[in-house]
Amino acid sequence: MSEAPARRGPGPSRLALIALIGLGLIAAPFAFQMITRAPKGATMISDFRPYMTAQRLDGFQRDLRQMDAGVRQSRTSVAVFLAGPPSGTAHARFDARFPEFAGFESQWRGIDADMSGMLDTIQGNLGNYRAVAALPSFTLFPWFFLVPGVIILGLLAGVVIEPAWWGAFRWALVALGAGLIAAPAVFQMFDRAPKGERMVSAFKTIETRKHVETIQGYFGEMALGQGAVRLEIIPALERSGLTRAQIAARFPAVDALDRQWVPILNDMTPMIGTMSDNVVNYDAVASLPPFGLFPWFFVIPGVLVAGLALVSGPRPHVAGSTATPVSPNADGVRTEGAP
Amino acid sequence: MIRNAIGRRTLGALALLACGMTAAQAVAATHRTTAGGTPLVGTFKLTAGKCGASGATGSYFRMIYPGGTLASGKFFQNPDSSCSDKSFTPVLPGAAGGLRTGAYQSSATAAFDAKGNAKVNKIIAPTGFSAIKFGLATLAKDPKTGQAAPVPSISVANGKLSGQVEALWAEWNHLYLNQGSPKPGGGKPGLTKAVSGTYNSTTHAFTLTWASAISGGPFNGFTGYWHLAGTFTPR
Repeated sequence: MSEAPARRGPGPSRLALIALIGLGLIAAPFAFQMITRAPKGATMISDFRPYMTAQRLDGFQRDLRQMDAGVRQSRTSVAVFLAGPPSGTAHARFDARFPEFAGFESQWRGIDADMSGMLDTIQGNLGNYRAVAALPSFTLFPWFFLVPGVIILGLLAGVVIEPAWWGAFRWALVALGAGLIAAPAVFQMFDRAPKGERMVSAFKTIETRKHVETIQGYFGEMALGQGAVRLEIIPALERSGLTRAQIAARFPAVDALDRQWVPILNDMTPMIGTMSDNVVNYDAVASLPPFGLFPWFFVIPGVLVAGLALVSGPRPHVAGSTATPVSPNADGVRTEGAP
Repeated sequence: MIRNAIGRRTLGALALLACGMTAAQAVAATHRTTAGGTPLVGTFKLTAGKCGASGATGSYFRMIYPGGTLASGKFFQNPDSSCSDKSFTPVLPGAAGGLRTGAYQSSATAAFDAKGNAKVNKIIAPTGFSAIKFGLATLAKDPKTGQAAPVPSISVANGKLSGQVEALWAEWNHLYLNQGSPKPGGGKPGLTKAVSGTYNSTTHAFTLTWASAISGGPFNGFTGYWHLAGTFTPR
């Protein structure tokens, strides 16, 4: 009968290559510490969710504008009302009378610029955040590597144990490879992952312990400044003969700052807390490989696995002349030792 | 069959071990006290804080910024403080008169009003802090994690007080901020400083101080410093 071909199905080197890809997939989550980092990313995405809406971010910007208007009006028309027409001495009198407000006011411009800039950056990344949040949970990502890796090694182990299984397992490998290739497209990773990368990059200067402590410091300054408006400047206006209604009519921004301070605190405090609590989570996410590469982490092994399985042919490998020949019997089923 | 019996016994033993460990942990959490001294069980009734020429006397609170020190701050300036040095926030005794040992002093059923003012009024009267009032409660469980904390316990030895107030929480702006020492779980991170003080066994006058670093949330890294003074009333 016909002699068995010298080489059919995947040779040892191809099997080894496919095994290497499987091992690589298993090793990737450990190499990139995804097991610990990815869940932190999931926590960060989840914690940010209540704040990452246009409405909420607009609200924070409105809070800042309200603060700014109140500070400016205190510094201008209220100061004129309490200390006389604008002049160096009038301002000095006002500052001497309300030193805590003066101290705050001197810092407010910087605080406002930094906070507004931070909110602008966050708002500018709203779309990027939404793209990342629409990806499967970060917690699952290590498994997206581990599971195919383990399946590949399992299939290869099966082929080593029983070469006749290659025919079926080959298609399983092709299917798995196709799955790896398709996954980024299915999850729209090519679009979403680079957006995530841009967000991580944009938050680099925001989501740091130092910056959070700076924001905490701003909170202290703002509290003191608002306290000066609430407990010193408005009472001074009242002592000068204005009723609360007259103050509201004449100095609406100052009145609004007083009335809106508690809602501003209610609004901003949890945001600062979330920023603070997620510094560690952000660091973990930022330490992962760039998000833009992630789709390729699936596509490249997928192409290799499917490609190697396809080019390796349908029949199991027979190792050289010492191998037991494998030939189809009358039913087309290959049997070992066939003549 | 024999194998099944062994398996059941092993499982039973493991279950008992697990139950035993849980019970032991609970007992440890309930009875964690400082070694030595005579326990003072009752109420450390507070003398109202008063502003002084430099700082405050009686019962008061200060808050230190991250990176600061207990001795020199930087201290948070509370605009609602009645003191000229607004880093001192004097506190008034609450309805229970002060801090109880040997029992928890829980939060109000609804802990906050709509503005975030704390409603609890047992240890101290709700006190203004940046326009929102804070209160103090001692809670059997961490409101966030559910971790158990022992009842406050303070002992006296040779006129010196020591103990733990691990279960102490400040409530402010819809937030719970642990202000205990040690912290839940027994640690003393950052500037956290053990409870210490003085006690006059004749007059029952006491002073108590401790510091508690805040971990997590908007005040992460800040430290609360507490100075309570008054008269101890045994239960």
